[in-house]
Amino acid sequence: MGADVVTESKDRREPVGGRLTVNRPGRGGHGGPVADERSVIFDVQNLSVFYGEFRAVREVSLPVHRNEITALIGPSGCGKTTVLRCFNRMNDLIDGARIEGTILYHGVDLYERGVDPVEVRRRVGMVFQKPNPFPKSIFDNIAFGPRIAGFKGNMADLVEESLQKAALWDEVKDKLKESGMALSGGQQQRLCIARAIAVQPDVILMDEPCSALDPIATLRIEELMQQLVSDYTIIIVTHNMQQAARVSDRTAFFTVDVRHDGQRTGTLVEVDATDKMFTNPSDPRTEDYVTGRFG
Amino acid sequence: MQAPRRKFHDELDALESEIVTEADLAGNALSRACDALARRDDRLAGEVIAGDDLIDERYIDVERRVLDLLATQTPVASDLRLVSAILHINLHLERIGDMAVNIAKMAIATRTLPTNETVLGQLQEMAEVAGSMLRTALAAFVRRDLALATALPEMDDPVDRLNRGMYREVVGLAGDPKMLEWGIHMNIVSRQLERVADHAVDIGEQVAFLLTGEFKEFTDASHPVS
Repeated sequence: MGADVVTESKDRREPVGGRLTVNRPGRGGHGGPVADERSVIFDVQNLSVFYGEFRAVREVSLPVHRNEITALIGPSGCGKTTVLRCFNRMNDLIDGARIEGTILYHGVDLYERGVDPVEVRRRVGMVFQKPNPFPKSIFDNIAFGPRIAGFKGNMADLVEESLQKAALWDEVKDKLKESGMALSGGQQQRLCIARAIAVQPDVILMDEPCSALDPIATLRIEELMQQLVSDYTIIIVTHNMQQAARVSDRTAFFTVDVRHDGQRTGTLVEVDATDKMFTNPSDPRTEDYVTGRFG
Repeated sequence: MQAPRRKFHDELDALESEIVTEADLAGNALSRACDALARRDDRLAGEVIAGDDLIDERYIDVERRVLDLLATQTPVASDLRLVSAILHINLHLERIGDMAVNIAKMAIATRTLPTNETVLGQLQEMAEVAGSMLRTALAAFVRRDLALATALPEMDDPVDRLNRGMYREVVGLAGDPKMLEWGIHMNIVSRQLERVADHAVDIGEQVAFLLTGEFKEFTDASHPVS
């Protein structure tokens, strides 16, 4: 990466309205969670999410640690994707969506007045369930975001580095002008990851990123996540519990509470080191879910 | 609504039953081997030796089925701990079966030698305690009883004490070469019984791991409590 890109990156990391500040010390090693208060990048406190009158998620408190992979797991309707979308204010795009509680990002309230949600989404990128490359060339898929953000550096270098980081460069370096839509599903998903990386995010959110991929492509994405986590913080929603067990440092288990009137609300049961969650979880509801004894 | 992993959990239940049966076979083999020794019954000793094939077959079957579960079912949480405990307990039981065979072989090898009542009495006492410990360990496993499991080290104390004393008893037989030869064999029997009791304690440790999720040795031979 050229020095101009770093400068550009630093410039673009300036606080939004003086409200967002970013520090990125290196990861301490991928040997397990580091329980250090300074390493908390998101501090979710009593988060409830409403769609109109409907409360989709109730009172979630959850730390997300820097340079770790945090997995959100739980049955359908437990609110894990809803919570994920709060981390980059994607729920703002839904009419009637609102939150109670706070999400502190580097100590700053993400939902405070004056925080620019567009800037939030640049810093907190997202990869979706279905690969969704733009109907453009591979090069332009990567260059699109930086151009919009006013990137003035060497775009070719930035595209190459982004594709390198997404472990896709070797496969596409000779066909950068070809359509991103022509790639395989797994390649398309890595292209989307490269696209997210190109705008220099701090965090990457992944919403079931492998559910449309075959097992080999899935393992490549998982391997990529393990590489990326030295530079980024990753939060992944997955229905695949073994994927959570394989890739994540910390796992949060959500479930659904059903009220007497039938209303279903997602709630966080527990969050802990992933190896603990899959060998000796503290809460019997987690135990029942991961062992398949619910129902 | 049927639990979603019924087939997997049925297989776990079946494996647990196999372990209980294997423990019965190993416990019986031990008891019969000690009877053969005390009664100088070659036929009974031969049955114990031949019967070990049944224990070995069961051991291999459980081992194979556990590996199948690991490969195909990716057990987690208490299921994973149970699978791990079954794998370890299975091996302990197979070893106990082998120790019964060793005792049976000692019975055959010493049938023409003179005996000593004191030594035989001590071995009988060790065999009773070791057998009781094995039954206690399995009861702790089946009932998921942590208190019962943690009682095992204390039960082991008299076995250890008698085993340590056996050497002196055998030395006391040194005046008669035939008696000494018999005594040396009995020292090996004592050692086998002491190991059986240790395996029972180890099974108790597996039960504690299954119940608490934390693996701790109940006793540590390299750092004994003073």
